[in-house]
Amino acid sequence: MNSSISLHGFTRLLGGQTILHDVSFSIFPGESCAITGPSGSGKSTLLNLIGLLDQPCRGRLVLDGCDMTHATANQRAITRNRLLGFVFQSFNLLPRLSILDNVALPLSYRGIGLASARRAATLQLEKVGLAHCARNRPADLSGGQRQRVAIARALVTGPRILLADEPTGNLDCETAQEIIGLLCRLNHEQGMTLLMVTHDPAMAQRMQRRMQVRDGGVFDA
Amino acid sequence: MHEAYGPSWPQRIGEALGSVRQLGVRAWFALSGIAIGCAALVALMNIGHGAAQHVRQMFQGLGSDLLVVSLEGATAPGGTLGMEAEPLPPGIRAAAPLATAVQALKFDRTSIEVMVAGSTAHLAEVLDLEVGQGRLLSRYDDQAAHLLLGASLARQLRVREGDRVQLGSYLFDVVGVLGRRGYNPMLPVNFDDAVLMPLAGMHRLSPAPAVGTLVALGDTAMDLTQAAASLSHFLQARLPGYEVEVQLPRQMLESMAGQSRMMTWMLVSTAAIALVLGGVGVMNVMVMNVAQRRREIGVRVALGARGRDIAWLFLLEALLLGAAGALLGVLLGLAAAWLFALAAGWRFALHAGSLPASMGASLALALFFGLQPALAAARLQPLQALRDD
Repeated sequence: MNSSISLHGFTRLLGGQTILHDVSFSIFPGESCAITGPSGSGKSTLLNLIGLLDQPCRGRLVLDGCDMTHATANQRAITRNRLLGFVFQSFNLLPRLSILDNVALPLSYRGIGLASARRAATLQLEKVGLAHCARNRPADLSGGQRQRVAIARALVTGPRILLADEPTGNLDCETAQEIIGLLCRLNHEQGMTLLMVTHDPAMAQRMQRRMQVRDGGVFDA
Repeated sequence: MHEAYGPSWPQRIGEALGSVRQLGVRAWFALSGIAIGCAALVALMNIGHGAAQHVRQMFQGLGSDLLVVSLEGATAPGGTLGMEAEPLPPGIRAAAPLATAVQALKFDRTSIEVMVAGSTAHLAEVLDLEVGQGRLLSRYDDQAAHLLLGASLARQLRVREGDRVQLGSYLFDVVGVLGRRGYNPMLPVNFDDAVLMPLAGMHRLSPAPAVGTLVALGDTAMDLTQAAASLSHFLQARLPGYEVEVQLPRQMLESMAGQSRMMTWMLVSTAAIALVLGGVGVMNVMVMNVAQRRREIGVRVALGARGRDIAWLFLLEALLLGAAGALLGVLLGLAAAWLFALAAGWRFALHAGSLPASMGASLALALFFGLQPALAAARLQPLQALRDD
């Protein structure tokens, strides 16, 4: 069976320090997986490496059957757009764009016209229950709403893999539960692979699989 | 996987427009630098062009084959210097003496001091004089009390052909009114405001009218400087003891035109420096803009923007600032040139080349100064950019 994400011998050094050493694992399509570990253990580094935002010093990375080890910067950008969706802890919505245009933004890089991109964005906003906020600016929304917009933005391209870096880190407990519920539902309904970094054991429990980053290694917990 | 990726051009431009709008006051700051430089360039190029046109019009008014001789001596020569009877020197097609005097002109209870020019019938040929009313003077008028009035003078006094005016203590018949011809700085008389009469008739006004000037027309077949030498030689032989100085309006105007061209280039260079400073203003704003939007750059990269997409985003913003500045500058510059022409009393003449030149220069500068910040933005590492707060 093909894996969705596959790492072989991943090593990342940063400022003379070994963050990850000889990490290898595979995640299957449709699987939901939590990455936990203490602060500074390299959880986010691992996620950024898989998300093609960073490059390993050594090792091979295969995403959805494509070997990205020697991909050029442009190929990595295109793969980020076509295959991956990102959800960040601090939402990272563009403050000057409307909610609708924030969600439509990834489609513009595919050369999709504004009108059809906005139609697709409206559909995604309906799925996260925020269609009525389409004309607002991010600043008008609460934290939980902003994260739902960010999820809609990550999903608008129909990614095979969703990468979430502490998606509930800036939210209160109730909202966090709501967001995790939404992510699990999307993972379940749309069959995309979900990889989530979290330091909260309760959140990690919601995932099918949990991995721990510790002393430069990654272990199934 | 690599074909047809990236936003369409309308989308890129739309995004850049949105970003420029967000710049607010800073956009105006960057834009005004370019606008001022561009306005200065357009204004000075047009003013320089207007000045050149003005000089050319004057040049045409002076006549390109004209020679003006000033005569100075102990006693002024009378008569017509014998030029009527003898053949003219080689290279000279026609010549006419010019004597001037100031007299009171009275008509219909109005009296004003006017410049009176006395000459022969050849003057009309040399200076290409035309009448607005009536007729020109001929040599049959030499003994008659006939005169012509300049166009402005006739209008001012409401004198028409056939009227009788008093000049000094004599009455003269106005046989015609000259057509308007404008001021020629090479001649001692402005014919629009003067009275023209036969040189022979000048005896009625003063006992010994002084011929201070001689105007001549060069033969087109001969080089004008050679014709000038020949005329000078001819006159010196005829008028010993006189100081004869031949001036060529063409030479004077060519040197004037050269000076005005040099002046224009100096001014245009100054304007170009202002424009370059405007470009530096654009770079300044763009560098700040990139620095403040690092997180946005990181987000866009994470969402699939390539380096070139980020570079275009910022480069288009710089180009839009440049284009808006150029448009504003062109309007301001044209308005300034027009006002200048109005104040100087010239006819406004558009220098067609100034518009593409100044807009092209503005856009090229925006491109040049926008490129470095745009490339810096494109080179940002996504993680670094995302980590920024």
